[in-house]
Amino acid sequence: MQPTPHDPVRIGCYVCHCGTNIAGLVDVADVARFAGSLPGVVLARHYKYMCSDPGQELIVRDILEHRLNRVVVAACTPLLHEPTFRKALTRAGLNPFFLQVVNLREHDAWVHSDAAAATQKARELVHAAVLRVVHHRPLEIRQVPVHRDVLVVGGGIAGIHAALTLANGGLKVYLVEKEATLGGHMARFDKTFPTLDCAACVLTPKMAAVGAHPNITLWTWSEVVKVEGTVGNYRVTVRRKPRYVIEDRCTGCQECVDACVYREPRFPDEFNLGLGRRKPIYLPFPQAVPPVVLIDPATCIELKTGRCKKTCVEACGDRRAIDFHMQEELREITVGAIIMATGFRIFDARRTPYYGYGVFPNVYNALEVERLINAAGPTGGELILRDGRKPRSVAIVHCVGSRDEHTNPWCSRVCCLYSLKLAHLIHERTGAEVYNFYIDIRTPGKGMEEFYQRIQEEGLHLIRGKVADVYPDPNDGPNGRLIVQAEDTLMNEVVKIPVDLVVLAVGLEPHPDAENLRRLFNLSCSAEGWFLERHPKLAPVNTFTDGIFLAGCCQGPKDIPDSVAQAGAAAAEAYALISRGHIELEPNTAHIFDDCSGCKSCLPLCPYSAITYDEDRRKAVINEALCKGCGTCVAACPSGSIAQHLFEDEAIFSELEGLLSAR
Amino acid sequence: MVAPVTFPKTERAEICARDTTLETLLTTPEGRRILTCIQCGTCAGTCPYGEHMDYPPRRLINLLRRGRIEEAFRSDSLLRCVACYACMAKCPRGIRLSDVLLPLVKEQTLARRPEIPAELQRALQNTLRYGNPMGESSRKRANWVTSAGTPVPILAERQKPVDVLWFVECYTSYYPRGIDGSRATARLFHALGIDFAILGNEEKCAGDCGQLTWESGLFETLTDYNLEIFRKYKFNRIVTGDPHAHNAFHVRYPMYGFHYPVLHTHQLLAEHLDALKPKLVRPLRRMVTYHDSCCLGRRAGCFDEPRRLLQAIPGVKLVEMVHHRINSICCGGGGGGMWLDTWFKSKGMERLSERRVREAMATGADVLAVSCPYEIFRFEDALKTLGYDHKMVVRDVSELLAEALGD
Repeated sequence: MQPTPHDPVRIGCYVCHCGTNIAGLVDVADVARFAGSLPGVVLARHYKYMCSDPGQELIVRDILEHRLNRVVVAACTPLLHEPTFRKALTRAGLNPFFLQVVNLREHDAWVHSDAAAATQKARELVHAAVLRVVHHRPLEIRQVPVHRDVLVVGGGIAGIHAALTLANGGLKVYLVEKEATLGGHMARFDKTFPTLDCAACVLTPKMAAVGAHPNITLWTWSEVVKVEGTVGNYRVTVRRKPRYVIEDRCTGCQECVDACVYREPRFPDEFNLGLGRRKPIYLPFPQAVPPVVLIDPATCIELKTGRCKKTCVEACGDRRAIDFHMQEELREITVGAIIMATGFRIFDARRTPYYGYGVFPNVYNALEVERLINAAGPTGGELILRDGRKPRSVAIVHCVGSRDEHTNPWCSRVCCLYSLKLAHLIHERTGAEVYNFYIDIRTPGKGMEEFYQRIQEEGLHLIRGKVADVYPDPNDGPNGRLIVQAEDTLMNEVVKIPVDLVVLAVGLEPHPDAENLRRLFNLSCSAEGWFLERHPKLAPVNTFTDGIFLAGCCQGPKDIPDSVAQAGAAAAEAYALISRGHIELEPNTAHIFDDCSGCKSCLPLCPYSAITYDEDRRKAVINEALCKGCGTCVAACPSGSIAQHLFEDEAIFSELEGLLSAR
Repeated sequence: MVAPVTFPKTERAEICARDTTLETLLTTPEGRRILTCIQCGTCAGTCPYGEHMDYPPRRLINLLRRGRIEEAFRSDSLLRCVACYACMAKCPRGIRLSDVLLPLVKEQTLARRPEIPAELQRALQNTLRYGNPMGESSRKRANWVTSAGTPVPILAERQKPVDVLWFVECYTSYYPRGIDGSRATARLFHALGIDFAILGNEEKCAGDCGQLTWESGLFETLTDYNLEIFRKYKFNRIVTGDPHAHNAFHVRYPMYGFHYPVLHTHQLLAEHLDALKPKLVRPLRRMVTYHDSCCLGRRAGCFDEPRRLLQAIPGVKLVEMVHHRINSICCGGGGGGMWLDTWFKSKGMERLSERRVREAMATGADVLAVSCPYEIFRFEDALKTLGYDHKMVVRDVSELLAEALGD
C-alpha cells in the first residue's frame, strides 16, 4: 500500500488537546476545522490525547479506512512523540516518514497567553505542515554498529562504581582520572553518615577491584583532550601526563621515597590539603590505586636542575622504574559510550571573607577537618589547633557558600548531615563542646532523620541562626579564641560564643574544569555550571548528547548513596546502548544529483570525510554511512546539486508558504 | 588566587519607587525578595547594635509578611539602626534592607514617638532652616575658600561649563577639622590640573539623613533645592568627599530624576593615580590603618581605591583591622547616629566609634585613615575618651595625600 509519487495526496490531520496543555489556550476544534479546509486534507480531527493508545489507533484506523497517505499530528514536541506516531504509521503499513509533527505545546500554548493569537499561530503552523508533508518521500532508517568499549571520565566513587558495573558485565572500560590515584573526595573522608562506617573501609576494596579488573584499563594522572565522532563511535584522545615512574615496573615498595635526598617530607601534601608534608617522590596515600609513586617536577632536584644524587634511582635498583626523561603521551581510543563522573569542588571559603578562612589559623573547612580526624591523616587522627593544643570548644558553621545570593544560591544537600557527623566525631575524639549554627537542618533520605535524632541525643548545641561574623576574642591574646557571632533566632537574641576552632561546612560547586569538559564533550550546563541531564525526572542520567551519560556530583550535589545509585543507572544506560549493538539514525543524509559539476568545493568542507570524488564520472559521491546530516555541503554546493533527505528545498519552501499564507 | 568579593552593583534609580510605602512594599520587586526571607538571622547577627534591638530586621520581615508591622512601631529598635548596610551586604537572599524596609519602618517609628531625641531634632530642624545640621549661616558656607591656599572657583562666578562639580558638603565647609580636608582636596585637584568648581553658598546638605526621613518633607525639600541648582549649571560629573552625599546621589536622588555620574573624591583621585604618584615626594613614615566607611565601602563597593591611594604614598605602611572591607564596623554616625550619641548612651549602648578605635589601636598603626568627614569627629572624640589621642591620629586619605605632595 506504499503510495507512489503519482498517487493523489490524502492527508489526515490530528490536533491533540494534550489535556488542557494545548486545549486550555488554543481552540483545537477551530484548528481542526481549518485544517480540514486545506487542499489534500481528507479528514481532520481533534482528540484529548493523541499519544494514548486510542489516539494512535485512531490514526491507524483512519489510514486503513480512508486510504490516507500522509499524516500531520499537531501535538507536543517531536522530541517526545515523533517515534510514537511513526510507529503508528508503520503499523498501518505506511512508511513512517510520511508524518509531520507540529509542536503546538512548547512552541505555542505554553509560551503564549493570548488565546486568539495562539489559535491563529496554531492554524499557521498546521498549514505549514500540511503543505510540507505533501513533499515527504518514503525513507529507510539507517542502522550503524556501536563500538563495545566504554569510557568513564573521573575516578571518584561514581566513576569507580560505573566502571566496575560495566566491567563486571563483560564490557571493556577505560577509566581516566586526572589525579594520580583513584578515590576522589570520598577517599579523604573519615566516616560517612548516616551509618558512621569508615569511608576508606568501604571505598578501598572497590578501588583495588578497579586496579585488578581485567576488563578495566585504568589511566590515572591523565586527561581527555579531544573527543570526536558521535554515539556508538566516539574517538577520544587522552593525555597521559608524565609521572616519571614507569607504572608497569613500580611495585609500590616506596624504597625510593625513603631514599630521597630530602630526609624529611617538606612539601605540602595535596591529598591532605596541604595539612601534611610529602617528598618530591611520593605515593598520594597508602591505599592509592594504582600503587605507583610519582615525582613532582616542581620540587624534584633532578627534574629542576639535573644535579641530584638520584638516591631514589639507586634504591629502585633493578626494577628501573624511575625515568626522568618520561614525556607526556597521547593515546587514542574508540568507545561506544561515555560516562561523565567528574565530580565537584568544595566552595572556597575565602569568598565569604567574614568567616576568616585563610586569615585566622584555627578556621578550617570541613574537608580539612575530615583529614585531621582521620587516623591516616597528617595528625594521626588527632584534632588539634595550629599550636598543637586540643580544642575545648568548636563551632560548626553550616551553609558556607550555599543558599546565598552572593556566592551559590543552591542548597548543597550534604552539609547538614556531614556537619552533624563531624559534630559527633569531634565530640567523641576531643570531648569538646560543639556548637552547630544552622539555618534549617535538612536531613532527607533513608535513615537520615534518625541519624539527626541520634546526634541530638548526644547533647551538642544546635543554634538556629546563620553565623554573621567570626573574629578573634578581643579579650584574649594572640592565639586566643574566636568569637562566633549570630542571632539565635529561636531565642530572639544575639549570641557571641568563644570557641577554639571553627569548622566551615563548605558547600559543593561545579568542578572548575566543568566548562572545559562541557565544550570538549558537547554537553549542556545548567546556569550554575552543573552538567545538565536530558530530563530532570525521566532521563536523569542521559544528556542531550546521545551516548554520554552522567554520574555523581558533576550533575549536582549528592551524597554517596545517591552518587552510587546514579552511577549504576548511568552504567545501565550505557550497557543498554552497547548491548543493542547498533543505533538507528535519522535518514537525514545528503545526496548528490546527476547535474553535479565536479567542482569539489564540498570535499574539504565535510567534517566527517564522507564525500569522495569519482574520477571516472567526475562527480562527488557521498558515503551515506559516514554522513551525519549536518547540511554543510548542501548549503555550500554552488550549483544546488546536493539535497538532504527530510530537508528538501520544495518541502521547506512549501512550509514557509504555509506559515506566511495568512499574512 | 581567589576573586575578590564583589556584591552586585545595585542598578541606579531602580532601588524602588519613591512613593513605596509599607502597605505597598510587598507588591514591588523588592517586596517579592522580602517574601523569600529564610529567617536566618544574619541581619541581626551582623548588626552592630543587634543585641540592643527587640525588633531586628528578621523580626520586622516576619511582622510585615503577617500584616502586623505596626507592632514594631511601638519599639524604638529602629532608632538604633545606624544605616551601616551590614545586614544588607550579608543578607543571603539579597534583600535591600537598609535601602528600603528599614528607612520605611524608621520613618513610622519616628512619626509615632511622643518626642524625638533633642539632639537629632535640632539637627533636622537646622538642616531644614539653614541647609546644614549645625545651624550655621548658609551665607558663610563658602567662607573656608579664602583660607584654602589655592584658588577654589565658584560656579556662579565662573560662567562657563566645568568638568567636575565638587559638592563640598556641610562638616567640610564649616568645621575646622572638616575644612582641613577640603583644603587638602583643593590642593590635590590643583596639583592634578582638574577642572573643578564648587557651588559655594548655593550648596545645601544633600540630605543623606534621608535614610532617616525617607520621602518626608525635609529630604524632598533638599532634593528639590539641590536638583534645581544643578540644573542651572553645566558640568560632567559630581565629585564629593562625603560618602553620605555620595550615597544620597547614588541611591536616592535617581528616584527624583537625577542622572549625573557621581564619584567620591578618592575614586576620582585613584583615576589620576598615575599622574599623582610622581608628585607624592614627601615620605610620611607612618603605619596607617584604613577604616572603610559604610556608604562608600559596603554600599558603593569602593574598597580598593582608598587603599591604592594610601599605598602610593612613600613611607606609608598599610595594615588592616580585624573588621575591614565588607566586614567593616560602622563608626556609629550613619542614619542619624551622628546626633544620637547621648540617646544611645542613655540606653546603655556602647559607642561604636570607641569599639572601632580599639580595633584600630590593636593593629599597631599610628594613623587611622578615613574617607568620610563624620569619622574625623567621631574617631578623634573616641581617641580622646579612651586616652589614645597621643598614640593615634585620624586623617582623611586626602589629607595624607596632600601632606605627601611637598610644596
